[in-house]
Amino acid sequence: MNETFECGDTGALVAYLYEECEPETRDVIASHLIGCELCSNEIDSLGWTRGRLQAWSPPVAELGFQIPVSLEPQLPWWRAPLPAWAQAVAALVIFGVGLSTGLARGSGSSSPQASPIQPVVATTESASRTDLSELEKRLRSEMAQMRTTVPTPVVRQATSSDDDIMKKVEELVAQSEERQRRDFTLRSVEMARDFEAQRRVDMATVRETVGQFQGVAGTEIRQQREAIDRINNFIRVSQQGR
Amino acid sequence: MTRTDEELVARSRSGDSDSFNQLIVRWERPIYALAYRVLGREEDARDVCQDTFLRAYRALPGFKGQAKFSSWLYRIALNLCRDWIRRQQRAPVSQMPEDVDPAQLLAETEPAESIEDLVARRELSAIVAQAMRSLSDEQRTAIILKEYHGMTFQEIADMQGCPLSTVKTRLYQGLSQLRRQLERQGQVVPELVKRT
Repeated sequence: MNETFECGDTGALVAYLYEECEPETRDVIASHLIGCELCSNEIDSLGWTRGRLQAWSPPVAELGFQIPVSLEPQLPWWRAPLPAWAQAVAALVIFGVGLSTGLARGSGSSSPQASPIQPVVATTESASRTDLSELEKRLRSEMAQMRTTVPTPVVRQATSSDDDIMKKVEELVAQSEERQRRDFTLRSVEMARDFEAQRRVDMATVRETVGQFQGVAGTEIRQQREAIDRINNFIRVSQQGR
Repeated sequence: MTRTDEELVARSRSGDSDSFNQLIVRWERPIYALAYRVLGREEDARDVCQDTFLRAYRALPGFKGQAKFSSWLYRIALNLCRDWIRRQQRAPVSQMPEDVDPAQLLAETEPAESIEDLVARRELSAIVAQAMRSLSDEQRTAIILKEYHGMTFQEIADMQGCPLSTVKTRLYQGLSQLRRQLERQGQVVPELVKRT
């Protein structure tokens, strides 16, 4: 640190003034001030100025700001919720994928039931005509049974998942609308304040312009009065001369 | 139980607006005082103060606590003051005191102070406000942050985005300029005593 202090080191003087220097530096400056009238006067006058500053206080104002409960802190873009249209698109995509998966499962569900038939088919080479006709009848009856029983649960599943998805979409849309409503309220407040600020600026400008105009008009009137006074004086003097 | 700023900030970030309102109650006076001293107009200071808290609330998710909450708030307020001055394209004008109402002043302060003292203090306040107008924005802000908000040189340097040595220079030059202005306005520096 500074072992010696030289006059003119204003940075060190300010640090000493605000007591924001190391103890060693402070001691060095303090000992310098004892012998240096210039620096000690400088410190005293700066201290005096600081004392004057304490008299400057802002006027008492009614503040009492409050953040309304409806306002939410603004999230960064990567954490912010998607807009309504994007949410609707996402919901539709999810719906489409779900529907196609459901249909694929429905059509694929016949394969496990077909498997027990395979051994029967495998033995057809040695089967008689009656066996084949019986097999045909059995297959037809099974297929008829499948038509009546299998598709029904598929349709039911799709309907229930449709309802769920629609509910979710509605919820998402409602949430999005609510967020937009809040954003709109917030922006309205900001716009109103900006408008008010601009109005004040405009009013100040108008006042200033009117003041300048009044000043110009006042000057002209004064000049005219002075001219009239001079003419009157001239007339008076000339009349006295006659 | 009084919660710390950090606790209130954490609760506010999780959506508790009441906690943020507690922070407002705690900090609105200092922020208003800062804005008033920088801008010099009561109405502007109030608007900037309100805007500061609104912006802080909206930006709260981005506040990770790298700095003190108060420093962060002061920074927002100062930026808004700067924008305000720039937008109005004029030098800040300190509001001159209107007619002194001794009764009101008496009610606002402790009864031990006489009316004469109150009037004198009010006059001195106006003189100081006027003298502050002669400083540059940087000098004025540095002095305000140091004198009225007790910030360290380093905090002011961070706030103003300048080296520490620049802050000291601004303070020194600002105080020297103020002293000259005060002397011009009839404030007499007491006779300096030589240290022996």
